[in-house]
Order: sequence, then structure tokens, then C-alpha cells
Amino acid sequence: MSDALLSIQHLTHCFRLGKKQVLRAVDDVSFDVRPGEIFGLVGESGSGKSTIARCVMNICQPSEGKIFFDGIDVCSPKERRAHRKLLQTKRQIIFQDSSSSLNQRMTVADIIAEPMSIHHITPKRGSCRAEAEFQLHYVGMDPSYLDRYPAELSGGMRQRVAIARALSMEPALLVADEPIASLDVSIQAQIINLFKHLQEEHGFTFLFIAHDLAVVRYLCDRAAVLYHGKIVEIAPTKELFSNPLHPYTQALLSAIPIPDPRRERARPLRVYTPGPVTGQLAEASPGHLVLREEEPG
Amino acid sequence: MADEKFVLTGIRPAPEAPPPVRPAARRDRPILAAVILAVIVLGCLGCELVMTKDPTYMDLMNYSRPPDREFLFGTDTMGRDIFSMIWYGGRISLLIGFVSTAISTAIAILFGSLSGLAPPWLDSLLMRLAEIILSIPGLLLVVLIQAALGEATVWSISLVIGVTSWTSVAKVVRTEVRQIRESEYVVASRCMGGGFFHILRRHLTPNFLPAIMFMVVMNIRGAIVSESTLSFLGIGLPLEVISWGSMLSLAEKALLGNCWWIILIPGLFLVATLVCMTELGNYLRKSANRRQSNL
Repeated sequence: MSDALLSIQHLTHCFRLGKKQVLRAVDDVSFDVRPGEIFGLVGESGSGKSTIARCVMNICQPSEGKIFFDGIDVCSPKERRAHRKLLQTKRQIIFQDSSSSLNQRMTVADIIAEPMSIHHITPKRGSCRAEAEFQLHYVGMDPSYLDRYPAELSGGMRQRVAIARALSMEPALLVADEPIASLDVSIQAQIINLFKHLQEEHGFTFLFIAHDLAVVRYLCDRAAVLYHGKIVEIAPTKELFSNPLHPYTQALLSAIPIPDPRRERARPLRVYTPGPVTGQLAEASPGHLVLREEEPG
Repeated sequence: MADEKFVLTGIRPAPEAPPPVRPAARRDRPILAAVILAVIVLGCLGCELVMTKDPTYMDLMNYSRPPDREFLFGTDTMGRDIFSMIWYGGRISLLIGFVSTAISTAIAILFGSLSGLAPPWLDSLLMRLAEIILSIPGLLLVVLIQAALGEATVWSISLVIGVTSWTSVAKVVRTEVRQIRESEYVVASRCMGGGFFHILRRHLTPNFLPAIMFMVVMNIRGAIVSESTLSFLGIGLPLEVISWGSMLSLAEKALLGNCWWIILIPGLFLVATLVCMTELGNYLRKSANRRQSNL
């Protein structure tokens, strides 16, 4: 697909555990992210979500497969060098743990201005400080925090600072690696609303990684379910939640608690018996792909 | 009281431990050491105001005079006033201390960070190299390089001491960098395109500086000692360049002449400076540890 902003094709990443043992963290994953949408990646711990994000950001070099960002093959060192500046400014990542993704010894203003100082970009609003103030305002924080250190901020504020730092480059793609997992519920809601606002008002594209299905349902346009490094189902969010086809997705969705004790108690819980995941993605309905066992013969 | 109504049986009453007294930050500040060091440093910097005589003038009428009113600390075997020489020569000693420490710290930070960020094979290569240099006795190396450089000057001595004393700091830097480089802010900075020097300046140095501060201060001390040792051995600064070390190099003559002040007084200043620096270094180390535990 040429209209995709991010296109991942047959991505495989293996970690070497020992001399002989190899862990396939991501196994033949393909999907596209279209401009202006929020694409969710869901899955349990260890299913390869973060590895995909790291491959997209070139933190890890994938073993196999290709990743195209805006038509640039980010896995080839040659193309990466040719488009270095574009890649470094137009893709940004937000990490899960905001306390470790911000340097303890830098002020908020310095943190937000860091990408600008790396690329020697003259800020649009005069000084780096004015730019940082603008970005801080943009994510809903008071400019009085500019001279604070990350340790003086709450978790939600730190995460906003991390988002502001990512936004200061006006990226085309934001990779959010479980940005809300380490926050409490009310702060999660604020950050989610911020993401929604950014997408609706300013047309940012997100690759949103989460393990919280309710968040994915609220926020994402399309979502992929990962299990043991493989995509088992990929569909528009509405379709995925109303009509899950793969047994793992069904089990996962049945685990969402319902905020009503009576219905919650009566809720049937489906159990997924883990087994080897094999097969090919097949289209069940337009845009809805499910991993199907290959029929013998 | 609740105790009267409700008694727990079978417990062994333990004496209530007094709450642990945390030393207040103010209490163990080395104020005395800082004041003495400040007096010595300021006296050396402003030696023109303090000196009572020309330190290089050889007053042949009054050689080896014990301390008296005119020559506060006496004169040496060549008739120079020791009181003036101390302040004048302290300049050189402190200069050598600071310059060589600046050189060694710069090398250590560069080398350590490079090794810390490098792939494993390069890392172990660089570290083995550092260990080899570390295993050669420092003084031997200094003598060797100094001999190769020829005539000793203040700058050549600083350079020689600097390039031989960076290894232990480099090893600490490397260990710290190994820890810091996995942090997400370094990864994030790399994603944003930060190069080696950007990451070194903005992320690594501020974070490992407290850890090496103690060693850096100890290096200043070590450099002053090295200079004195070299001068004492006669391969350091020539006699006409006055430093604490070259003053001490008159020691053997002074011993023969039974002039205690020629050895004791420069030695006392040297030791006082070193003890004060050790004290300050210890304080820095303690406060760095305290701050890290608060993070």
C-alpha cells in the first residue's frame, strides 16, 4: 500500500538467549498504519509489542523483514543515512516509564528543547525557552514548570513532558510504547484525552501500544492483537470488539471487567489454551484479518 | 491506655530502639579544611601581597638562618627567604596540580565514555589497555616520559603527570556509563539523533560527575605529590624554579646542616594542603552518595 505512513512487512526479530537458543520475539508481522489514524497494538507481556516499536525506531535492527516509513526503508543503513534528519525528526517515541525517559539532571525546559538543540533548529517562537513554553502549554501544563526537575513532577506531568518533547519536532508519527501503563487511572484518562485531541485536531498519527483493552477500544481506529510475536487478528476497533474471530482475541476480550457487579459476576470467562500459533492471516471481511490454521490438503 | 485493656501474650518486649540519628548535612561539612585551603590558595595567588622578600634573591650573607623576625620561616642553604618561597612556590605546585588533573580528567572522561558506549570487543580492548597502563608503577612511567620529553618545565611536568594518572578515573567513568547508557533518556536522545558528544555532554557527564568528583580531587592531591616526589628525586623542576617540591629537594643538604626549618616548613604546607583536599574530597563523596540515595 502506498498510502500508508508506516508499513511493516514480514518483520521478524530474534533475540539470542544462548549459543543455541533463539527467541523469536516478533514473528512475521505485517501491517500498515495510515496517516492520521491511531493504530493500536495489544497483547500480553512478552508478546513482542515493544520490540516492534523498537524496530520501528531503529533501536533494534530486525532480523528479517522491512519497515517503510514514508516510503523510506528504515532498516537499510544506506537509506537511513540519506534521510537521517527526516527520520530523526518525523518519528518520535514516548516510553512507558517517564521517570527513566527523562534525565534527572535536566530541567523541563532543557528536556523539551533537547531535540531542537540536537538538530540546531531555530525555534519558530524565537527562543528555545519560548518554544518549550508553547509545547508545555500545548500538553496542558503551566509554564511555571519550566525550571523544575523531573523528580519534582508527578508521573502524569512527567509523561506530558515526554510527550511535549516528542511533539516539539512536529513529528508525522508518534510511537507510544505503553505511555499510560505506569500511571494511575485518572491521569491515564488525561493522557488519553490528550492523544485523542492531538489526533483529531492536529492529525498526528500514532502507533499506540497498550495492554489495556478498554483504552484501545476508546482511542484506536484500528488494532492488531499480538500473541507470541504473531498477529492473530487485525481489524478496525469496532469490528474487533463486536465480532472477535480468533479464539485468543475472544478470550482476551472476555477478560475485560464490566463496571457492574451483577453483570460482572454473570460474565462468562473464556479460557484460551495456549498452543503453537501457526497459520496465515486470512481476510474474514474487508479490513478484518484473522490468523487461520492452514487446512491440510 | 489501650495496653491495660488489651494485652498481647507471648510477645517478647524489645527495648525501644532510639530513632537512628541521621547526620545533618551541615554538621559534617569540612569548614576548617575549606578555610585552611582557601587561605593557602589565596595566599599563593596573591603572593605579591604576602611576600616579605624576593623569593628568588639569594642573600648570601644570611644562608641557613633559623626562623627569626626578619626571616619568618628562616632561609635555605642558598639564602632565600622560605616564607616568601612558600607562597611563591605554592603557585607552581597548585598550578601543576590543577592542570594535570584537568588533563587526566579530560582523558578519563573521553576514554571511559568511549569504552562504556562501545561494543563489547572494543570495550574489553580499551579496558585491558587501561589496565596495562595501570599496572605499570606510576612513578616509573612519569620518569620514563619525562626523560623522553627532555628538560622539565611546569607544563611538561603537568602533561606527564596528567597522561599517567587517568586510568582509575576512566574505569569508574566506564562503569557509570555502562549503567546510564541503558536508561531510556539516552535511548530517546539517540532516537532524536543525538551524537556521541551530545550524549556525553548532556546526559552522561552530569550523571557521573558526582561519582568521580572524589577521585578528581584526589588526583589534584596526587599530582602535587608527584611533582614534589619528582623534584625531590632531582628529575622534576630545576632548583631555580621554586615549587614546594623543589624546596623539599634541598632536604638532604638541610639534614646535613641540621636545619629543620628547610624541610619541615614546606613539608607542613604540603601536608596541610593535601589533608584539606582529602577532607573536601571525602565530603564530596559522602554528599554524592547521599544525593543518589534520595533519587
